[in-house]
Amino acid sequence: MSTAVFFCACGDTVSGKIDAAAVERQVAARWPGVRFQTVEFLCSEQGLEVLERDLKEQGAERVVVAACSPRDHENTFRSALGRAGVNPYLLQMVNLREQVAWVTVDPRAATAKAVRLIDAALRRVALHEPLQAREIEICPDALVIGAGPAGLQAALCLAAAGRKVTLVEKSAVIGGLPVRYEELFPNLECGPCMLEPLLGEVLHGEHAERIELLTLAEVVQVLGSFGNFTARIRQRPRYVDPRVCIGCSECSGPCPVSAPNAFDCGIGERKAVSLPFAGALPNVPAIDAGRCLRLNGTDCTLCRDACPVEGALRFEDEEQTFERTVGAVVVAAGGALLDCRDLPNLGFGTVPEVYTAAAFERLLAANGPTAGEIRSAAGAPPASVAIVHCVGSLDKSHREYCSGICCQYAFKFNQLLGKKLPGVRRYHFFKEIAAAGKEGFTLARQAQDDPDTTFIRYRESADLDVHSAGGRTTVRIKETVLIREPVRRRGGAEGRSPSAERSEHDGGPQRQDPAACTGTGDLLSTEISVDMIVLCPAVIPGDDTASLGAVLDIGRDRFGFFEERHSRTDAVQSTIKGIYLAGACQAPTDIQSAMNAGLAAAGHVLSGLVPGRKLEISPVTAAVDQQRCSGCKVCGGVCPYKAIGFDAQSSTARVNDVLCQGCGTCVAACPAGAIQANHFTSGEIMAEIAGILS
Amino acid sequence: MNGHPAAFEPRIVGFLCNWCSYAGADKAGTAQTPYPPNVGIVRVMCSGRVDPQFVLAAFAQGADGVLILACHPGDCHYKEGNHRAANRHVLLRQLLQQLGIPPERCRFDFVSAGEGEKFVRIIEEMVDTLKGLGPLSTQGDSHGSAHP
Repeated sequence: MSTAVFFCACGDTVSGKIDAAAVERQVAARWPGVRFQTVEFLCSEQGLEVLERDLKEQGAERVVVAACSPRDHENTFRSALGRAGVNPYLLQMVNLREQVAWVTVDPRAATAKAVRLIDAALRRVALHEPLQAREIEICPDALVIGAGPAGLQAALCLAAAGRKVTLVEKSAVIGGLPVRYEELFPNLECGPCMLEPLLGEVLHGEHAERIELLTLAEVVQVLGSFGNFTARIRQRPRYVDPRVCIGCSECSGPCPVSAPNAFDCGIGERKAVSLPFAGALPNVPAIDAGRCLRLNGTDCTLCRDACPVEGALRFEDEEQTFERTVGAVVVAAGGALLDCRDLPNLGFGTVPEVYTAAAFERLLAANGPTAGEIRSAAGAPPASVAIVHCVGSLDKSHREYCSGICCQYAFKFNQLLGKKLPGVRRYHFFKEIAAAGKEGFTLARQAQDDPDTTFIRYRESADLDVHSAGGRTTVRIKETVLIREPVRRRGGAEGRSPSAERSEHDGGPQRQDPAACTGTGDLLSTEISVDMIVLCPAVIPGDDTASLGAVLDIGRDRFGFFEERHSRTDAVQSTIKGIYLAGACQAPTDIQSAMNAGLAAAGHVLSGLVPGRKLEISPVTAAVDQQRCSGCKVCGGVCPYKAIGFDAQSSTARVNDVLCQGCGTCVAACPAGAIQANHFTSGEIMAEIAGILS
Repeated sequence: MNGHPAAFEPRIVGFLCNWCSYAGADKAGTAQTPYPPNVGIVRVMCSGRVDPQFVLAAFAQGADGVLILACHPGDCHYKEGNHRAANRHVLLRQLLQQLGIPPERCRFDFVSAGEGEKFVRIIEEMVDTLKGLGPLSTQGDSHGSAHP
């Protein structure tokens, strides 16, 4: 076997410490047939020319480059080998610069170490196999799951680039949670004004023809891998044909069935055939199959009778199943809010006038059940409102994390309450204030400067008790570390400021800044009666995260959110290659971050799957020797990428080289030694060990 | 191998994961922080690739010590290979003990890509430990041999 060793002097960076001539002599003594050449700067243009010319003219079956760290220039030299007609994987590098010359004091010791490491490389490289990157055909189209801000942006970006997108949405309308919000933090931008153009683009914009929107649909099976997934999608019937319906909603009026509108958090009512709210898109009502009389055995046709067009109402609609081939999947399935009944001491569902933030958003919305008027269930506008932050967040018994968005919308509520109901007293119960970012402080500062807003810090949810007392809803706080009075009320006795009980303790209000408080202030007990309480619950994964995770076979973190491949460097990719994450299914997130993540996911798809270009699969993967595999499945359990499947017919493991990332964990785990790590075989590593110890 | 304790220079094989620990060793190089030349490094893509047989082979072929260096918990490029390596190391120590090889001859530690200094400290400590223990093959009388 002809082998060439190239020793890079790296100027005198390497050769100043390591005696190149001595290394050459000793290598020649150990390996008589090996040719050895010292080059001044091997990675330079001239150096690479020397290497390539040598390989072309004299040929070589194996190459050792003794130079810098392979982390610097392995790819440089692999490419050079390729250009010289030598398989790039027949190269082994020796890290003489970073790991010998620069770190060894004694030149003789450095030279001796260099010889041992080159010896190890020669033993190893002799066992190298020529490897070829495999190329596979790909489908450049994508499946996007969820039509909220993240999914919409992903779909639009992909469609604008000419890709076909199947956009699957589980509800009857698109837009996700934010379509419920009238105004958005941080600058009270009109939510519908921001979202509706985006929704319009998806439905009938310039690139809409490439977006196949399937509402009332869910993904029930995904097979295959990056470049070639097959997705099975089940769509529930809408009973209204979107191709015929003109969106007049005439069908809703005569419907005799009315039930609480889940979309408005049960505050208002909706008919069995209706749009969930005015302006919902697509502008096609849906029949609630659970409530419709006709679909439950009676002969009612009132909606169809009222419909001005023929054939729009279709009681005979049935569930449909679609199959789509896509190259990548963007998961933007969204998040949810913690069920406040999980914290019974906060009174949700048991004490009157306790609302979740989502319900309160609907009270604020012009298309909500009160047409944007803030009024209690009794019908009167509240004179005082308590807003409880951190409900279930920063809470060891519920969610340990800060949900990140609640403070911002709580301060938005503060601002909108003041605007709609001038003089309304507001109390913020909080654990921590989170209003980061270049715009985040605005609403927080407005609340802090508001003459009718009081901040009360609490430690644990258990310290709060919401109950009804004398016909009013009351928050009792067992222990507060800080009360911050409104700026203009400081020092003055004010009838509605937190009760006398508190001032007996300290004789006056506290003057600490909430942001500066470290929790060491006097502990106070207080009780505040208000007309309305708004709870800001923790942001949690959506209901279907577990089932969707199982369908896609992607990992979830300890909180149940979808897990990223690497939380910083590869946060858009799921644990499975080709399945990307965006929005609140991955972590609590605001609209801006969700949209950015959607675009980032689309970017991954666009750069990873280019039409007409094949997908190159690195050959540095694991491979199973079917003869030796006993079918114990230990390997499948340790693979972080679910790259190892099981072939039932032969009862052996199979590595999917598209998914395999080449870590080699399965190789070390296989009790039968049946898995080989290409380019890191046991034989190659054993040879290297022997050389180091030679 | 030189039997004289004062002149004894232990031989160490280090298995370093490509993404964190090998980069950490490179960092010691770029910072030009010197350390004893006793270690020869085998680069693996992930510490999870380190087969216990590699460690046994190293001892059998004359290594006085073995290092397995991995990404910090939570930092593994392959998510959890470092945890597998850590778990295997616990079992490996028990196996080494049964073979009469003091478990401290096989050290597992976490070195990030930025921890050049920690890498140097680990090498220095390992060399000191091994100098204290003496050459592996001379322990045959009291601790059993590495060459069964």
